[in-house]
Amino acid sequence: MSKRIGFVEPPAPIHIELDGEVVEAYEGESVAALLVLHRDGMSRRDRDGDARGLWCNMGTCSECFVRLLEHGRSRRVRACLLEATDGMRIATGSHTQDD
Amino acid sequence: MKKIARRSVEHWTNSDVFLSDIDFLVIGGGLVGAASAWHLASAGTKVWLCEQASPGHGASGQNAGSLHFQIERRFLEREDGVGREGEQTAQLSRLAVQDWRDLERQIGRNLGVHMEGGLMVAHSAQEVRLLETKAAREQAMGLAVETIDRAQVQALAPYLSPDILAANFMADEGHADARIIAPAFADAAQSAGARLLDATRVASLQKRGALFEARLEKGEEIQTVTAAKVLICAGIWSPQIAAMAGLHLPLFPAPLTMNATARTAAFLPYLIQHVGRRLSIKQTAAGNLLIGGGWPSRLHRTGSGFDFSRAPALVPQSLTGNLQTAVETMPVIGEHELLRSWTGITAVTQDQLPVAGEFPSLPGLFCAAGGSAFTLGPTFARLVADQMLERRRDEADALLSVASPARFESLNGFMGR
Amino acid sequence: MTDNAETSYDVLIVGGGPAGQAAALELAAVGARCAVIDEQARPGGQILRQPPVSFAAQNWVDENSYRPLRQQLRVFENQAAIAWLGRRSVIGLQPGPQGHSLTTSGADGLQELSAAHVLIAAGCYDMPYPAPGWTLPGAMGAGAMQTLLKAQGIVTGEPIVFAGTHPLMLLIAAQISRAGGKVAEVAFDRSLATIGKSMIRHCATALRNGSLLGEAGKAMMDLRRAGVPVRFGRPLQEITGADRVTGAVFGEADHPETTPCGSIGLCYGFLPQSDLPRQAGLSVRWSSPSGGWATCHDQWMQSSVEGVWVAGETTGVAGAPIARDEGRIAGLGIAAALGLITNRDATRRAAPFRQSRKAAMRFAAMLDDIAAPKQALDRVAASNTTICRCEKVSASAVRETLGSTTDVNAVKRITRCGMGLCQGRNCEHMLIRMSAAAEGRGLETMKGFTGRFPARPVSIADLLEKPLP
Ligand SMILES: Cc1cc2nc3c(=O)[nH]c(=O)nc-3n(C[C@H](O)[C@H](O)[C@H](O)COP(=O)(O)OP(=O)(O)OC[C@H]3O[C@@H](n4cnc5c(N)ncnc54)[C@H](O)[C@@H]3O)c2cc1C
Ligand SMILES: Cc1cc2nc3c(=O)[nH]c(=O)nc-3n(C[C@H](O)[C@H](O)[C@H](O)COP(=O)(O)OP(=O)(O)OC[C@H]3O[C@@H](n4cnc5c(N)ncnc54)[C@H](O)[C@@H]3O)c2cc1C
Ligand code: FES
Repeated sequence: MSKRIGFVEPPAPIHIELDGEVVEAYEGESVAALLVLHRDGMSRRDRDGDARGLWCNMGTCSECFVRLLEHGRSRRVRACLLEATDGMRIATGSHTQDD
Repeated sequence: MKKIARRSVEHWTNSDVFLSDIDFLVIGGGLVGAASAWHLASAGTKVWLCEQASPGHGASGQNAGSLHFQIERRFLEREDGVGREGEQTAQLSRLAVQDWRDLERQIGRNLGVHMEGGLMVAHSAQEVRLLETKAAREQAMGLAVETIDRAQVQALAPYLSPDILAANFMADEGHADARIIAPAFADAAQSAGARLLDATRVASLQKRGALFEARLEKGEEIQTVTAAKVLICAGIWSPQIAAMAGLHLPLFPAPLTMNATARTAAFLPYLIQHVGRRLSIKQTAAGNLLIGGGWPSRLHRTGSGFDFSRAPALVPQSLTGNLQTAVETMPVIGEHELLRSWTGITAVTQDQLPVAGEFPSLPGLFCAAGGSAFTLGPTFARLVADQMLERRRDEADALLSVASPARFESLNGFMGR
Repeated sequence: MTDNAETSYDVLIVGGGPAGQAAALELAAVGARCAVIDEQARPGGQILRQPPVSFAAQNWVDENSYRPLRQQLRVFENQAAIAWLGRRSVIGLQPGPQGHSLTTSGADGLQELSAAHVLIAAGCYDMPYPAPGWTLPGAMGAGAMQTLLKAQGIVTGEPIVFAGTHPLMLLIAAQISRAGGKVAEVAFDRSLATIGKSMIRHCATALRNGSLLGEAGKAMMDLRRAGVPVRFGRPLQEITGADRVTGAVFGEADHPETTPCGSIGLCYGFLPQSDLPRQAGLSVRWSSPSGGWATCHDQWMQSSVEGVWVAGETTGVAGAPIARDEGRIAGLGIAAALGLITNRDATRRAAPFRQSRKAAMRFAAMLDDIAAPKQALDRVAASNTTICRCEKVSASAVRETLGSTTDVNAVKRITRCGMGLCQGRNCEHMLIRMSAAAEGRGLETMKGFTGRFPARPVSIADLLEKPLP
């Protein structure tokens, strides 16, 4: 299991929607961190159905792309560079047409 | 090097030719060269395919991979573009359709050929009129092109913009995989007995008596080979090679831009082009959308000319212009990511027509370059190989007359040898 | 630093790590208008990745060795003359109206910035080490685990295994253990005897850098106290699991030993970021021993293209103190090129930084020697592991193609290795190693993939002239 640890004093929680499921988060926390907490680091299933996870947590490996759904359109962004905001809606690679 | 007196094709033999090391030297391992080498070797001749880097290093490995048989937008821009020349190109297109339909079976290798149809779309009433005139001409030339209206376009391809008023549809169009095609033909050529010399550059070429003598350089290794006939199919480098033999080959480099998106689930079986704007869109077997259509890039320059050793520089206006046109035609593209933009150089002649055939002023020297030599490449290769083998020569000559290097004789007449 | 929306500056700096900050501070001190652009929201770079502002972090990276860098970061954040353009990826570097221009991409779309001088201080990244099973969720770069801890306060799946050749994993394991994370083991690929030999070769350097080695010693002790085994001569064979990591297999094929774990951090070295330098055609060289492309530079850190400068791990992976010295030298060089200080002044002020850089280089060389990943990489090159994660191309498919061509761009075209979403950053180094070996050539003579725009995959809607409705 992944966990949050002590050195952080987080502010009041916010909520984001991850593949339709509402999860608790903190303002500014990275969506990759939420994938680690709620999906054991899994970011998608690839075209063979294999589970895949984030690798670099710094924007380089492209393993953490998710879809950010906003203003009636969707953009693919790197979860490790995406900061959570209240009400944000995310679809991971297991729930999109992306490969 | 050992002289080999081995004859396999009798028609064109003469006593001098018996002394050549090989029958044919093919210069350039692009699609055209590799496919020609395959045809020549399959006829039982001794062929060397010489490539300065590796097969597919040039335009053949960088292009959009469109198999487009409708009259090209760039010809429609010309007043006279669809006259006699257009007619002959259409004839070559008809042959190319047949060739592509059977290529994978013939060479026994996957080339990623998909021929499920192509749409050339129009946004404005004026463009619709252009489509109609074009389709009428094409039908007269025996190309199966029909005009479909907005509702039919939407039914066929609901992902196209509702602003598209009409399209020309041709069921034979499609695409093939430019990544693998030249290596696949080179491989087939080798299986047929051709010898591939990769990382080997032709450094000089001249006619000595009835033979051609070429100097080949692989790093520090140098060897000389004599051949009965030579085929120059070195893409944009072809003029340099013709110059080695003392001939003009007026081909010009056209630096272009391509864009690829990340993979997405398959949804687009067609080739999409635009009648009034520079655009081509297709989806590869892997799922990437390839977006191009002839947007320029910028050649690097050296003290003495253009630098072909460096990929041309991206021109920002081409990038945004190309993507804007793509999104206006197919809005869903906006939701995908640009993964890579690349540039490549293709060869064009002043009259936009390809060059394929024998140089009248230097018999035995052939060339095949320029034009849309992906779509038409396998056909050029087949016909030029026929010419070189003196096999159905008259037929090949007639079919390639529009492309013959004879049209440069006015220039080559000045060249003493 | 201030948030700023201008589009033209004297100097544009890519990267807000130790190198980028140091250069910006030198430049701001002499009145240059400069902006620092970074994909991260806050400055710090990889070594000081900061938590979100809303987190009130305590004891954040409080080890002694980080102190000078934290000090610099504080000064940087308080320097109002420096524009901070965070959350923006630089995707293009090309000639521009004032000399050079950068194309940047962020949540608000695309922006073109231009300047007479550009400094690339883009740092490095965890070597993507293709152990069999490395695509499973829970298998990560060790640095990724560390930044999840530093910047997010998160410990990945427990217990954690670290495997690799690079000693940084000792520090990372100790940080995680001290923070309350459970570490199962730290497994060094190479034997203690081999590592010892490297240290003896560099013994003068080892002695001079007692404090840094002390840090490693302290990490070992902390780990021992926490009951975490640190093992040597223990090559990783495979990462196991169905949908996520459940174990790490060590030992020889005939008697494997499995350590159960919830995640594994791989630490075989670091590769320089080289997308922008290669896209802009700067001269690069193979970076030994870890691999990747280091950008070449002169004594003022100017690259082969006038007005484009490089500093920090873009020039080769050598540690944060060197990154900072290089940033300062580049800052002074650019200041002189702008005419803000005299060449003599620049030379005088750069002297101490050159001195400390030189000394630190010896330590970096020792680390390189200790961490040499060659054996570990040769092992995976001979296996059937996936080397290209995005396109799922196996080492065996690459080996097969290498039989017909060793040109890496041709192998890429044929196998699709390097054609995926990571744009080649994950697999290129392996492909080059395998190709060099197949051809019997030295790595330093190899050519890599052609550098292309964009340096990061970017939404097409963001690239358009007219935004979508
Ligand atoms: C971006 C782009 C998009 C395109 N899109 C399309 C399309 O959609 N459809 C279409 O039909 N056409 C398209 N084209 C054109 C098409 O790619 C070319 O016409 C075709 O690939 C030419 O093939 P080739 O074999 O003649 O030349 P090339 O593929 O260029 O091959 C020439 C070869 O000669 C080698 N060579 C050069 N000098 C020497 C020497 N001295 N010694 C040995 N070898 C040498 C080179 O290394 C090279 O491999 C496009 C071109 C570009 C650049
Ligand atoms: C994950 C990780 C953790 C590390 N932890 C440690 C450690 O604990 N101790 C240690 O001694 N060393 C550590 N290192 C090595 C460390 O990176 C260096 O010692 C030091 O940070 C290098 O400084 P720099 O300024 O060269 O680069 P960095 O600190 O890496 O800074 C480069 C910055 O550039 C940004 N950037 C890169 N490319 C772009 C782009 N295209 N667009 C916009 N921004 C871009 C990055 O986001 C980054 O913030 C770590 C390395 C990594 C990869
Ligand atoms: S985890 Fe590598 S890009 Fe986000």
